[in-house]
Amino acid sequence: MSTRVQPGGDGPAHTPVRTGADLGPGRRSGVGPDADLDTSTSTSTGTGTGHENGTAPAAGPGRDGRRRIPRPGDGSARARRSAPHPLRAEWLRGFAPWAGAGLLLALAWPMAARADQWQGSWGATTELLSTAAAMIGVPFALAAGGWQGGRERRRRTAELRSSTARTPLVQLLAAALPLACWLTAAHLLVVAGALAACAPYASAGGPAYTVFAGNALTLAACTVLGHTAGRAIPFRLTAPLLAIGGYVVVGALGTRQSDVRHLAFCMAHVLGDNDLAVRWYPLVSALWAAGLAAAAALALTAYRRATALLPLAAALGAAVLLVSTGDGLLRDNPLAHRQVCDTSTTPDVCVNATYPGMLPEVTRALSGLTGRLEGVRNLPVRYEDLWRSPHPGEAQLPNLSPLGWSVVRGKVTDPRRYAWEAAHMLVRPDCEQAPTADRITVTDEAVLRWLAPEPGFAELREFSVTRARQEGDTKRLAWYRAEDEAYARLTSMSEGERRSWLGRYFATAAECGPKPSEVPSL
Amino acid sequence: MNTRQSSLPARSAPGHRFRSLALYSRSRGIPTALAALVCAALLTAWTASRPDAYLDPYRRVPLVALAPLLAAAATGASLHAYTRELDDTAVRRWWPRRLAHLLVLSVLASALLALAVPGHAQEFGAVAMVRNTLGAIGVTAGGAVLVGARLSWMPTTLYFSAVYLSAASPRVNNATVVSWLVQPGPQHGAWAAGLALFVTGTALCAARGARPEGPRV
Repeated sequence: MSTRVQPGGDGPAHTPVRTGADLGPGRRSGVGPDADLDTSTSTSTGTGTGHENGTAPAAGPGRDGRRRIPRPGDGSARARRSAPHPLRAEWLRGFAPWAGAGLLLALAWPMAARADQWQGSWGATTELLSTAAAMIGVPFALAAGGWQGGRERRRRTAELRSSTARTPLVQLLAAALPLACWLTAAHLLVVAGALAACAPYASAGGPAYTVFAGNALTLAACTVLGHTAGRAIPFRLTAPLLAIGGYVVVGALGTRQSDVRHLAFCMAHVLGDNDLAVRWYPLVSALWAAGLAAAAALALTAYRRATALLPLAAALGAAVLLVSTGDGLLRDNPLAHRQVCDTSTTPDVCVNATYPGMLPEVTRALSGLTGRLEGVRNLPVRYEDLWRSPHPGEAQLPNLSPLGWSVVRGKVTDPRRYAWEAAHMLVRPDCEQAPTADRITVTDEAVLRWLAPEPGFAELREFSVTRARQEGDTKRLAWYRAEDEAYARLTSMSEGERRSWLGRYFATAAECGPKPSEVPSL
Repeated sequence: MNTRQSSLPARSAPGHRFRSLALYSRSRGIPTALAALVCAALLTAWTASRPDAYLDPYRRVPLVALAPLLAAAATGASLHAYTRELDDTAVRRWWPRRLAHLLVLSVLASALLALAVPGHAQEFGAVAMVRNTLGAIGVTAGGAVLVGARLSWMPTTLYFSAVYLSAASPRVNNATVVSWLVQPGPQHGAWAAGLALFVTGTALCAARGARPEGPRV
């Protein structure tokens, strides 16, 4: 045991306490989070440069070979340098750096695994970072704080700590804050990495810095909260139970539909690029957590425990504000109500203003479709990409968001498939059932096949034809034959003839139950 | 613990064997671990029997991840010995006892938690619960070797959290080996991963024992 209490010296006020920090790296042993957790005494005693904080520096041999007894006021600059501040050991050694590294890995893993789903969208990045902080960071901060809080009890140095000069609150904070800072730093490092990885593919908006600041403060508060629980509850499963409790609270509160969900730590309910958190929401949310942590710390350590009521009142005030404001904590993203358009195509192609950089890519993906529709009348004016149903004369652009499906890192993943989906948006898009007349359905299929040929769909059709042939399904085979004939007639038309025919066809293409006589035949 | 062979008849008596077992259990906090397992099973049964979780299997995903986490934390904490140096001086080998310790708690935890999940066994039911419990205990046992028994909850907590959150990615979710703990049930890759973790962690812990924590933990 490196913590040694040496009898004698200058009396109780100057009891020399040698700590791991004083011993230097050569005297330490072991690796891992449990090694060299030798800082409580140094912290609790408040040893800084030796005697000035109530402890005497170790006596060493003088130049003449005789032992020199250091006295107050005798400290040289060299001696001060040789006795590092005890907080340095709390920062650099023991459990805190390991916990920070662990949290860094745990946060980075899902961010990397789900990179397809957030790179290119500030909103999606903010949402996933908040979710990761709530589901990984908060439970782990509570548990790690709980583990750190039980440190003196595990070492059986709680009595020694309580006998030192510094106040209990200072002792608690000196042990808890370095861990809180490490966990916060791990979170902020992942945030910085995610923002840097998102920036090259995002073309509008910007990071929600207040959300990340609020989450960082909340993580620090959770660490202190866990620390107080770990110090107060002498139970070997305190730390894992705190983690489980964190998961349960996040799950129980965060997934509710009521406004109580805003009380879940770090869980900013920002959904993609549709909403933005109002500026004070993350900070008030952090105040809710910080108030609880401060109240717990004061209740455990303050001389006048009634002072804990002050931060508790602040926390409750923040909670009331969060719950009463409810959906007002989020505001509409003004960009989500606008779109940018390319009017050189038929129909025009518009994408939401939250992804203006996607316009050339989408236009390129639809170039085959729009090229075939050049000069055709009765088409929708534009493909629109707003969070509403298309107006009359508009067609819905196939979804670009959520990211990770049609779009990954600024690229359309399967342009042919995307064009095929866009073509379907032109032909009876709102109809739940196909028209009753077989001739109309056959015509629709032939038009879609010509507008946006899609290899996957063609393979599926080939498979269906083969299967119908094997099963002897003559009705189905006749259907496919009629489709092939209609498609052949459409492809064999001249350009002008086809343009004219398509103009007549699209005049009724939005109707769900057109009369067969109104739809031109092939 | 004095484990020297002796010819005294009292040593081989059933009472002595029971007393040894009771002493071992008490020294390892087995009653606390058992109580935690029972609590985990009761809470799981209560949550899983709610109508939404009973009807929608995907509502049970958090359950089949959280309950094994608690069971594994209790099992890992029970590996802690306050007298490790004294234990190491014993004549008898410790690995059979450590192995039996882990296996008994694993079987007990798996059985209790599997019984606590109602509904279809193959859709985030008993099958997934057994697999996840074994995998979690394996990770925790391995963690106990690396970072000590009382801190063995940490690697498991971080690992489960990271896998749980990353499983929303279709690419990760389709990889049954990587996202083994959020697979619905009988997927071979998920079972292989869970069992591999259990066998590796248990074997490592049985052979090496939990990392000595020393007086400065």
